[in-house]
Amino acid sequence: MSLEQFKNRNVGTQNYVKLDLDHTPTSGWCQFKQVVKRTFKPELFVGLWVTLREMINALFRGKMHTTQYPFEKLPISPRYRAIHDMLRLLESGHYRCIGCGLCEKICIANCITMETRYDENQRKEVSEYTINFGRCIFCGYCAEVCPELAIVHGQRYETASEQRASFSLFEDMLTPIDQLNLQQEYQGFGAVSPNADENIKKTPLAY
Amino acid sequence: MYEFIAFYIFAIATTILFVITVMSKNVLYSMTSLAAGMVLISGFFFLLGADFLGVVQLIVYVGAVMALYAFAMMFFDATKNVKEKHQNPALVFLLGGLMALVFVIMFSAPVIGDNIQALYPIEDGVGNAQAVGMVLFTKYLVPFEVAAVMLLVAMIAGIILAGKKMDYSLTKSEAIDEEMNVELKKGEE
Amino acid sequence: METATMLPEVTAAGVIIKAVLILAVIAAIAGFGTYIERKVLAFMQRRLGPQHVGPFGLLQLAADGIKLFTKEDIIPQHANKIIFAVAPVITAATAFIALAAVPVFPDFTIPLLDIYVPSIASDVNVGILFVLGMMAAGLYGPLLAGMAQANKWGIIGSARTAIQFLSYEVVTGLSILAPIMMVGSLSFVDFNNYQADGTWIVVYQPVAFVLFLIAGYAETNRTPFDLLEHEAEIVSGYVTEYSGMRWGLFFIGEYANMITIGVIASIVFLGGYNDFWIFPGWLMIIAKIAFSFFFMLWVRAAWPHIRPDQLMWLCWKVLMPLAVVNVVITGIVMMIVG
Repeated sequence: MSLEQFKNRNVGTQNYVKLDLDHTPTSGWCQFKQVVKRTFKPELFVGLWVTLREMINALFRGKMHTTQYPFEKLPISPRYRAIHDMLRLLESGHYRCIGCGLCEKICIANCITMETRYDENQRKEVSEYTINFGRCIFCGYCAEVCPELAIVHGQRYETASEQRASFSLFEDMLTPIDQLNLQQEYQGFGAVSPNADENIKKTPLAY
Repeated sequence: MYEFIAFYIFAIATTILFVITVMSKNVLYSMTSLAAGMVLISGFFFLLGADFLGVVQLIVYVGAVMALYAFAMMFFDATKNVKEKHQNPALVFLLGGLMALVFVIMFSAPVIGDNIQALYPIEDGVGNAQAVGMVLFTKYLVPFEVAAVMLLVAMIAGIILAGKKMDYSLTKSEAIDEEMNVELKKGEE
Repeated sequence: METATMLPEVTAAGVIIKAVLILAVIAAIAGFGTYIERKVLAFMQRRLGPQHVGPFGLLQLAADGIKLFTKEDIIPQHANKIIFAVAPVITAATAFIALAAVPVFPDFTIPLLDIYVPSIASDVNVGILFVLGMMAAGLYGPLLAGMAQANKWGIIGSARTAIQFLSYEVVTGLSILAPIMMVGSLSFVDFNNYQADGTWIVVYQPVAFVLFLIAGYAETNRTPFDLLEHEAEIVSGYVTEYSGMRWGLFFIGEYANMITIGVIASIVFLGGYNDFWIFPGWLMIIAKIAFSFFFMLWVRAAWPHIRPDQLMWLCWKVLMPLAVVNVVITGIVMMIVG
């Protein structure tokens, strides 16, 4: 879709077909004419053809519309605030969190708890980091405030679990070390979803 | 042998069903047993080899009892028992008994007197439908046509009685038509 | 007929075997029909349909069956218990009895026992009328079910049964009368032999065919006319209070009736089980019945419901006059031609 086409918002005058709204028939003869007209118009068969066409589309042209959800998932927008991810540094594989405590401070639901200490190199080390997802309101302040892009919102939106503690530990949220190459950089708030181009549609404004 | 067994099964079932029809206080029971009895009667026709009459019995009486159901549905709560009024049970019993006696005498007399003759015995090579048609359009032509005219008269009378407001339409409104005209003209401009 | 005398004698054992065969196969096909219906409707809406139970979801049928069998059997408090229990049986039983007069499967002899199994369980010479009559008797199922369950939706459903089926009986009978006049017999075999030269009756009687299809859809309670259990208006109509296997019986009956209508349409109008071009007769009849079944599902996917008043209007003011005119014209043409 080119830009000119996209910017042309005069949808109302283009492809819309005006319905031929008959008047309510007054006499018996008019009613009879209406019935005959409607009977022999091939409208009923148009309906049949449309359904058959969709069936052919679905079966033979691969236009099946179903997403088999638990087995395949649609890409999710980076704006979506799902379960948090803790990212690693790509070079060393060490976690990015520097233990500054800003996320804990800004958290308006008071659900982030962290404990830090100095390790043997006099670097700050995160000894304990939990997010209580029973309290978290997924406001996204923690990701916004993080100076190192260490805590971000990930793609995991299925938050149902048998136990509260299931995904609240630092290790659970941390990118597994063997999947470091799959780690996705946070696009930041306002980023468009990866399939945004396909989803663009004209909004019909001028009815 | 099979016919013998089947006849007695049909006979007993039909009798029981019609007894239920008369005795039951529940509309639903009596009508259901009436319908089932009518269907079972067609079984006798099949046993006698009169397939056509059997099927006609099936179609005609099934429809007729269905219409009765429609009335029952309008007048009664089908799940409750109907309270019957008996002004004079002795009189009812007497009259009913007398009628039953008359019927028994009427139908048993020819059998006892042994003077039943088949005027139209079954011929070979003529199907059921043809045989019925032959009789209807030769010997019984006048009663047949008179019955047809009577039904037609009843139907027209029914339509006239029921159809006083037939031309009045709930969906038709000229005011709406006018409004739509105006709207359409606006749209064209 | 000469050919009839050539065949071996039909014994009671053969008829019983045939009846069991029809019952088993048609009940299975009727159950399988629900799977086909769900799949076809899904494809027409570009969905996948059932696909997780068994290969391609084929065992969905078994899963549904298990569910229906094990579901609690509820009889509502104020319902008339006997009638409530009898009604589903009427629907299912009449649907299968109707199939007794319909030729399904070729005739064969069981080798060791030497039992001849005929192709028609009961060859009454008024087969078409018998099937129509039995389908008419089947209407008592929905009617009684609706009235017995002490539920207002049920009552409305059974009232609709009464008006819809009574009205469309007339159209079915009249529309099929014209072909009966042409053939001069009420037996399915005669209809088949009449079309043995390859000219289908639908060529002579297109109006009767269309009328019969419309009335057949109304009588089997299929979509443009499924007002008896119109979810949007009357919850579920006559099956509102039913659950479990009793509900399932209604559905087996409905699908068996769909097959029966398909059989009648194929034999009376579409050339029966005669050979066609290079295709053998048995394949043709299966193909025709399958297509008519598919067409019912197709129509369900494509066309909307109609209102009850439109239904009655259509029956009494359009279809019935058309059917009568068709019968009269057929009679006149037959008188002139032959």
